[in-house]
Amino acid sequence: MRNLLWKSPILKIFSILLFPLILSQGSFLFPQESFRKSPPYPDPLPELNLPKIESFFLSNGLGLSVIRRKNLPIINLNLIILTGESFSPEDLPGIATFTANMLSKGSINLSSSKIEEIIESIGGTFSSFTYPDFTVFNFSFLDDYLDEALDVLSRMILQPAFSRQEIENAKRSMFYELRNNNLDAEFLARRLLFRLLFKDYPYKKALYNNDIIKKYDRKRLLNFFNKYYIPNNSRIILTGNLNLSTASRKVSRYLNTWRKKEIKSLFLEQPSPCEKTKICFSDLPNAKYATIYLGNIISPSTSDDFFPFLVLNQVLGGGPNSRLFMNLRESKGFAYYAFSRVEFFKYCGVFYVQARVRPEVITESIEEILGEIQKITKEKTTIEEIEQAKSYLIGNFPLQIETFDKFSFKFSKARAFNLGERQWNKYYENIMRVNSEKVFDTVKKNHLLSPVIIIVADRSALDHLINLEEVEVYNNKGILQYIIRKENNNETR
Amino acid sequence: MIMNRNKFSLLVFTLYLFFIPLSIHAQIEKKLQFPITQYTLKNGLRVILSEDGYLPLVSVVIAYNVGSIYEKDGKPGLAYMLENLMFQGSRNVGRMQHINFIHRIGGEFNAMTTESKTFFYQTVPSNQLSLVLWLESDRMNSLDINASKVEQSKNTLIEEVIRRKELDPYLESSLYFDKLLFSDSDYSHPVIGEEEDIEKITVEDVKKFYSRYYTPDNAVICIIGDIEKNRTIELVKKYFKTIPNTKEVPNSPPLKPIKTKGMEINLENYLASLPGFYLGYRVSPPYSDDYYTLSIIEYILLRGKSSRLYNRLMKKDRTAFRLTGGIEEKKDLAVFKIFVLNNNELVKEISQKAIFSEINKLKSNLVSEKELKKAKNIFRRDYINQYSTPLNKALFLTDALLSGIDLDDLWDELNKFLSVKSRDIIGIANRYFTDERILLNIKLK
Repeated sequence: MRNLLWKSPILKIFSILLFPLILSQGSFLFPQESFRKSPPYPDPLPELNLPKIESFFLSNGLGLSVIRRKNLPIINLNLIILTGESFSPEDLPGIATFTANMLSKGSINLSSSKIEEIIESIGGTFSSFTYPDFTVFNFSFLDDYLDEALDVLSRMILQPAFSRQEIENAKRSMFYELRNNNLDAEFLARRLLFRLLFKDYPYKKALYNNDIIKKYDRKRLLNFFNKYYIPNNSRIILTGNLNLSTASRKVSRYLNTWRKKEIKSLFLEQPSPCEKTKICFSDLPNAKYATIYLGNIISPSTSDDFFPFLVLNQVLGGGPNSRLFMNLRESKGFAYYAFSRVEFFKYCGVFYVQARVRPEVITESIEEILGEIQKITKEKTTIEEIEQAKSYLIGNFPLQIETFDKFSFKFSKARAFNLGERQWNKYYENIMRVNSEKVFDTVKKNHLLSPVIIIVADRSALDHLINLEEVEVYNNKGILQYIIRKENNNETR
Repeated sequence: MIMNRNKFSLLVFTLYLFFIPLSIHAQIEKKLQFPITQYTLKNGLRVILSEDGYLPLVSVVIAYNVGSIYEKDGKPGLAYMLENLMFQGSRNVGRMQHINFIHRIGGEFNAMTTESKTFFYQTVPSNQLSLVLWLESDRMNSLDINASKVEQSKNTLIEEVIRRKELDPYLESSLYFDKLLFSDSDYSHPVIGEEEDIEKITVEDVKKFYSRYYTPDNAVICIIGDIEKNRTIELVKKYFKTIPNTKEVPNSPPLKPIKTKGMEINLENYLASLPGFYLGYRVSPPYSDDYYTLSIIEYILLRGKSSRLYNRLMKKDRTAFRLTGGIEEKKDLAVFKIFVLNNNELVKEISQKAIFSEINKLKSNLVSEKELKKAKNIFRRDYINQYSTPLNKALFLTDALLSGIDLDDLWDELNKFLSVKSRDIIGIANRYFTDERILLNIKLK
């Protein structure tokens, strides 16, 4: 019975969507009740009452928030370090991720294996995620064991061993993980797109190659750890059936000796968007499809453009009834899928389209994608489309906070970006305010028509790009190899 | 479903709980139990409702008591094809509309076919419950099946079979392993079917399968979320009560006697880049007396990085590149599978010996209380995750009901796993981990 959910059900959406349009409906001779003929009207939109979040700062500057949820005997602990990859030294990109990976790899008195055993003994899981602006450790465990969880966490933070052997093991794992990712077309395309967009910007440091891993050593690791893993640069968010006074007493008991230190705050200007379209190709031997990523830098989530962009993204490529999908897949039959996405960081956002297409129609697909983007810059989006997009965003919001870890992560991100209430308690209200004019103004303000375009495909697909003015060809490490120009049909190295 | 329930031991256990009311197990039960309403419509549709108003969401699961073992006369892939066709339109819902309706309101949907059950599920804002009931009742009542759709579905599924094989170089060997492990049962063919099987399916096969199995008396609907009970009862009645039943609930396929012989077979794999092996044992089915202990053995051996086999093969000996496995449940049997990939042929044999040695330790030495508690705590966490969302709860309940479980007994299930003793493990390990095992070696070509 319990294994039902571990049988990882196959996501059916693509196989269902692969069906071509069939217009004819079967004829049914038997009569039916009238209510079956059309969809029912919905009830009024229910209120969303988010749980109260209580917060407190310990004397060492460690921020603590408690989200009370009583329905499961589980506690989810998120430790946020308000430092991400953009803080890695220029010559050592990836050290922020490496430091996060090393945190659970042994303390002075506990080996890495012993830590794993303790975590599993309390029904726990522990993982880390490093983003350009911050790092999150997600620690989930049975609620009988808050003391044990805080004890092992405090040992990791206060007494890390960073032994040479564990450093070598972690380097090896990171190297192989990155090497495996180099076979994934989506990974390669996204990485190259973001590299080219963030070419001189600190966010580029999150997009390192595995060559750099050999430079990591204990000294540099300790240097990064000591500088940024400090209480006044950290937040703990606890989700579960507990209150703030219990939580602060217990967290304080285990982490009050964590020493506060001076930290220089980092403020970055918003990066500049790409102003001239650029087409880049990366070879993935034997790839059957071509993967296209096309995008540009947009305003950050703190700007007024945030909500209009969410709506715009839904209209353009947010789902199976969006313009891109209907055009490239349903109408033209070029693509296996075609969607758009918006990703937000602290100082900017990135809007991009992702599509997997047949190699022989790469240029036609790019033209159609650009054509759809052009359309929204010239004509206002219809009210019906706007309302449908808003309906999706409002309806989907509770699903984004359904589980302890999803809720906790969303709140962590809001904390790390200082987003306040606008994307939390006032989310519905702000979505409701978006209209065609706001979307249209937002589109015009941002550089959507001069994107960086990435194509990841087998090298043979270059034959289908001969009519393009200029194509930059990169290797799978993101290094420019040569440029193909149309006028003389020459390769420039 | 045949239940191996020992009423006497259940009674003793209940009394035990009664006299020690503050035991840890009782506390766990109290935390997990939630109120449910159960009833059956006149046409046989079983209904489960439960209110969970934490977020303004509702999850609806409809599960049909049918899967790939119900495919008759050599038509593998039929059950899975029908799952696909359920999204391709019914009398009042056009093609793609089901997906579009759910997507537009911000909902999420999916479907899943197993050997014995087929699930359709969605989570939507709670004010849209009637929309989901309208959609689900329309496809239960009047799925639109025609030759053109069946042909298109065949093409889609064949493409999916090919794509899956391309993506997973070990898929073919895994299917071959299942054929060996289930040679005497209907589980030997993959749920999705093979290209040549799918080709043979006709529109008549699909229509017959639909009218026989996609009926209210062969289904369960479970609605959990921010609902108002009486109104939900009314809505279910409105949309489902007039859907005709079959008058006769189809029987499950007859169970075949299970008997395997130990064997070791070598298979050359053209696609694989690393050698490895599959090891399998036939074990007792879900809800049987031995199953609870077998599950704890699974956790001791394979769950987590501190589990015995992970520790031995991946950390200590470093002979394995990948290690996966666990109990795979079928309707009337279960298998214990282990899959290992090795860096080369030499260490493969060392890996196998290490696994047998770890299994032998379980057969003769008591597991320490500390290790047992760890395994049970990881188990508890995974079990509790089945309650983490209204959708997970609904899937859990529908699966249990279709497996023949009385839902009133369900709350006691976790305690049965947590009551396993070290000495039980020795007995069960000796009973099931015998030489009657299947070992399939993957050799590189």
